[in-house]
Amino acid sequence: MKTLEDLKKIREQTLQAMKVREGEHNCKVVVAMGTCGIASGAREVMAAILDELEKNSVTDVTVTQSGCKGLCDREPTVDVIKSGEAPITYGFVTPEKARTIVTGHIINGQIQGEWVVATQE
Amino acid sequence: MSTHTCECEEKAQQVAADEKERYEKLDKIIETCKGQKGVLIQVLHQAQELFGWLPEDVQIKVAEGLNVPISEVNGVITFYSFFNTVPRGEHTIRVCLGTACYVRGGKQVLEQFEKELKVAVGGTTENRKFSLEVNRCVGACGLAPVVTVGADIYRRVKLDKIPGIIAKYTNGRS
Amino acid sequence: MEKLYRSHVLVCAGAGCVSSGCHAVAEALTREIAKNKLENEIRVIQTGCVGSCDLGPVIVVAPEGTFYQKLKAEDAVRIVEEHLLKGRVVEDLVHKNGQGDGVGGTIEDIPFFKLQKKLVLRNCGVIDPSNIDEYIARDGYAALGKVLTEMTPAQVIEEIKKSGLRGRGGGGFPTGLKWQFAADAKGEQKYILCNADEGDPGAFMDRSLLEGDPHSVIEGMIIGGYAIGASQGYVYVRAEYPLAIERLEHALSQAREYGLLGDNILGTGHKFNLEIRMGAGAFVCGEETALMASIEGKRGEPRPRPPFPAHSGLWESPTVLNNVETYANVPLIINMTADEFSKIGTEKSKGTKIFALAGNINNTGLVEVPMGTDLGTIIYDIGGGIGNGRKFKAAQAGGPSGGCIPKEHLNVPMDYDSLIQLGAMMGSGGLIIMDENTCMVDLARYFLDFIQDESCGKCTPCRVGTKRMLEILDRIAHGEGKEGDIELLEELGQRIKDSALCGLGQTAPNPVLSTLRYFRDEYEAHVRDKKCPACVCSSLFEAPCSHTCPAGTSVPKYVSLISQRRFGEALRIVRDHNPFAAVCGRVCNAPCENKCRRSQIDEPLSIRNLKRYVADLELKENKLPAVKCRPERTGKTVAIIGGGPAGLTAAFHLARMGHSPTVFEALPEAGGMLMWGIPEYRLPKAVLRQEIKAIEDLGVVIKTNTRVGKDISFEDIKKSFDAVFVGVGADKSWTLEIPGEDLDGVYDSIKFLRDVQLGKPVSVGEKVAVVGGGNAAIDAARTAHRLGAKEVTIVYRRLREDMPADPYEIHEAELEGIKIKFLMAPTEIIGENGKVKTLKCQLLELREFDKSGRRSPKPVEGAIIDLPVDSVISAISQEPELDFLGGNTLETKRGKIWADRLEGKTSAEGIFAGGDAVTGPATVIEAIGAGVKAAQGIDRFLGGTGEIPSDIEDIVIPGVPEDVDDIVETPRAKMPTLSVEKRSSKAEVELGFSRDEAVKEANRCLRCDACSLETR
Repeated sequence: MKTLEDLKKIREQTLQAMKVREGEHNCKVVVAMGTCGIASGAREVMAAILDELEKNSVTDVTVTQSGCKGLCDREPTVDVIKSGEAPITYGFVTPEKARTIVTGHIINGQIQGEWVVATQE
Repeated sequence: MSTHTCECEEKAQQVAADEKERYEKLDKIIETCKGQKGVLIQVLHQAQELFGWLPEDVQIKVAEGLNVPISEVNGVITFYSFFNTVPRGEHTIRVCLGTACYVRGGKQVLEQFEKELKVAVGGTTENRKFSLEVNRCVGACGLAPVVTVGADIYRRVKLDKIPGIIAKYTNGRS
Repeated sequence: MEKLYRSHVLVCAGAGCVSSGCHAVAEALTREIAKNKLENEIRVIQTGCVGSCDLGPVIVVAPEGTFYQKLKAEDAVRIVEEHLLKGRVVEDLVHKNGQGDGVGGTIEDIPFFKLQKKLVLRNCGVIDPSNIDEYIARDGYAALGKVLTEMTPAQVIEEIKKSGLRGRGGGGFPTGLKWQFAADAKGEQKYILCNADEGDPGAFMDRSLLEGDPHSVIEGMIIGGYAIGASQGYVYVRAEYPLAIERLEHALSQAREYGLLGDNILGTGHKFNLEIRMGAGAFVCGEETALMASIEGKRGEPRPRPPFPAHSGLWESPTVLNNVETYANVPLIINMTADEFSKIGTEKSKGTKIFALAGNINNTGLVEVPMGTDLGTIIYDIGGGIGNGRKFKAAQAGGPSGGCIPKEHLNVPMDYDSLIQLGAMMGSGGLIIMDENTCMVDLARYFLDFIQDESCGKCTPCRVGTKRMLEILDRIAHGEGKEGDIELLEELGQRIKDSALCGLGQTAPNPVLSTLRYFRDEYEAHVRDKKCPACVCSSLFEAPCSHTCPAGTSVPKYVSLISQRRFGEALRIVRDHNPFAAVCGRVCNAPCENKCRRSQIDEPLSIRNLKRYVADLELKENKLPAVKCRPERTGKTVAIIGGGPAGLTAAFHLARMGHSPTVFEALPEAGGMLMWGIPEYRLPKAVLRQEIKAIEDLGVVIKTNTRVGKDISFEDIKKSFDAVFVGVGADKSWTLEIPGEDLDGVYDSIKFLRDVQLGKPVSVGEKVAVVGGGNAAIDAARTAHRLGAKEVTIVYRRLREDMPADPYEIHEAELEGIKIKFLMAPTEIIGENGKVKTLKCQLLELREFDKSGRRSPKPVEGAIIDLPVDSVISAISQEPELDFLGGNTLETKRGKIWADRLEGKTSAEGIFAGGDAVTGPATVIEAIGAGVKAAQGIDRFLGGTGEIPSDIEDIVIPGVPEDVDDIVETPRAKMPTLSVEKRSSKAEVELGFSRDEAVKEANRCLRCDACSLETR
């Protein structure tokens, strides 16, 4: 038997898992998953990002993938697009760097300057 | 169907056993529903699922079990189109008798089906494989005559094609 | 905390998608995701119906919202490898908008979804219906919590009343009021029931809600129970919905487990139980008293009211019955407040309504829109319009109890009261769209047959009355209708309406009464002319093509002869009714092709060009067509005023019947518009002259340069002939009614084309604007181009698809470099020194629908452009010039002569009429048809039988080939044309089929006449 309080709890929890269906988020992370990206380890980078986000209970971030974007020599690349800010592209991302990007940039807003390969206006 | 072989007898025994089991299940259904308000239709649904149709014996059993007059049980069954008082076949063959099909030999096709299946329109074969029905126009007049079996459509059905169509479903299952 | 996934793949598992194989797609996706080790990143969820049933199976990939359609299991490999792994959208599988221009891609881009307002359906297609947590996450059961802890039952009822919610299942009774009655009624036990017996063929929103969001219905019912004081509820679901029953059962068990149903709901002490009762296939159980009888386990027969269910319903206790969609609205109202809810919709119809779009429409499925959205928006903007280039005819709203809405009313706001005013009803929201190929008599018969089958038999008006009505309709559809049948239908219908016991019976005659209201002429065509204009009632015709031909040409017969290379006999069949075979083979608009059943397989037969092939053979060999004539002469004389196709056809047949016709033609040569309106490059005059000569050879006298009313008076003609046929056409051009029309360089198309044909010097200058959208406009434009104009522009006030001109003519004109400007209307012609200089045009935009079922063009304020031109040709419309009649008044209708459509009789004895003078500007074949009928009428008037002597009976028509096993898709033969560079004012553009092309094309005929051939 559930109480109103229980319902509220179920709501909160399930909502976070369902947020991905809403399509509106403050922050979007794009991992380039072209053949070159995957060959350079983009799959592991993706897994690390998802894991780190979950660990930190971050739910308002969309993680998505794109095709090769022409930066083949700097793969794997990861774009972090925060609403109202210019998109940042990181290159040569490793799973470890990816975790730092999540905690540093996405959660705490500190751009990891040394790994940035491009910014767009 | 007058000459019985051993195999036939075995089969007959099996059928009888199945039948007995079904009646036992029906008893249980009646037992659980007994005394509840307005359950007749729900019981009949379950009975039909069990037997595939509602033979007289089943109707009597339900009437006695729920303590409802048999006339009321039968009245309900005949009112609702979902309930069958004759057994249905596994496949329903529908011969189109729209104008185009009629003129292009739909009637002969129907007669041939009746001959091959040994049933009249509206009837079901003894092995419960096929029920035979007619359709009005299915809108494929250029391809007449048309016959449908379940969701399958056969066009330009000539008399010599008919045994083949029946065979396709006879050998299909069981 | 639940696991987070970066992407959710939502697979629609509504019944439509299930039947098209969505489970296999979901399984394949799951398998491929696992294969690519993405199972920790991507989750596959099966949801309720998304609504776009014709596109199934469909999936939506979140968060991007990419919408994939018509998937097969094998597509999963590419979707996973390309999209989910590499982020590349699989373009060929996503939804395309409209004409395939650009990729829609995401669900937000697709008009079908974009223009909807999904409130009640908000969860369908988004949540997993088997997971109560997902419902809760989307504010599920929050309304129940609020009601149980913060509101009294009276406050709940007040809130529902204030929202303006009305029943979504039929009559639209205010829900709050219904609840109030039951709440006020005295009784220990009260019941709350949900009608999920969606019996209306064509409606499936209730099924979709139960399958896609069952908890919203459950929550609505618990709240209803609280409001009226009922502790027990039943959902009555039809047995034909096994999936809905399964999902609802599952949802009920979850709700019980969570304590949302039972003796102590959410710990508040409130008690409510809910059970499913399955129907057993009886349409009448949608009626409330019948439904209650059925829940009680009895025959579902209705009983008279009062007492009303609110006082004495299920087991004689106070009962509320609402339908699925109504209950699904309740939690929504509580959550968003009645004030907010009542801002949606119209004054008397609040909220949204779900419609089930079906029939001849491009996008079928479920659509939810605010009440009051107009029908045209639903059909054209959301539904994507009518398929196959056909025209909208009517929408059937409200199922068998409802009525139809014709094209004149596309602007109707879809709300309860507006629909009732039109004789239709909201019903449960079934909306079946019908195109021109639907016969309204047949439709009425279909519904009545349904009702007759479903009538419970308790009361006589419904049991016997509908049977009698059905018999009459059957008779009409079989061509055995009699005068008085239509009136009898109306009377019976009204009686049944007034006296039947229940709602089913009272509304049973609606489909008949409503089709009679808007399509009475179609009933009359069946009864009087024995014609089914939509070519559906097959007892009335040989084949759709010949039934549609105004001249009654037996198309399948001559086509089958062509397929056997028996060209001479084929031509005899054409000529038997139509003296203008070679002309029609070139310029007929071929209504027969429009109805050709071959188009259901690939494309219609090229009937017109086949006719031209055989007629040309004859012309080439210069063989005079032999037609049968009556051997003896009658000595009767007939004056034919006007030598156009109608008059010459009448003369042709009258001569064959032994009479002596004289044709009076005002111009130097007979032929009417064929001679003076249609340019040489489309219809070589040598061809026309040959066919006119053949008519003269039958003894027809043609007096040219003889204008009746000037050279000879109408009175004299009447006196000296036994009968008169008036076929003067419609050659008075409408003027544009704008300033500057008197300037030098302004022409009307009739005069312009005639002057060119007469060889008068016509100078149009370099830049020409033609105003209009019909064949006359195209002819004028192409002729101006041939006269040397460098820049010819057609100005038309609507869109390309609205142009009355034949599409292939438009196509050829554009090939020749003619520009067409749409949504533009001239407002003024400005001149300089008395000569045209500029055409001022107003830009238009399409607004609401007009009586013709098209959106009407309205000025865009301030948007005016100037076209520099040397001449302007107006080709908007024409009307007959009837001054020649002098004091002899014939009854007219809107400036045209009135004539009976079967024989061409006018209001004056012995005077007949036909062609454009009667119909206004129409087609050649209609004029020819009128000529045939008038000749028969005149013969009868002169003491004959009206029978045209014929010898085609002895032609043996080829049987239908037996060896054709399967029909292979074969495109229609293309007509070879002269290359654009070689075109001139003289050279014919269309070149004609070769023998092999003709025979091959003729072989595409499906022989719809098979039924009427005497078989073996």
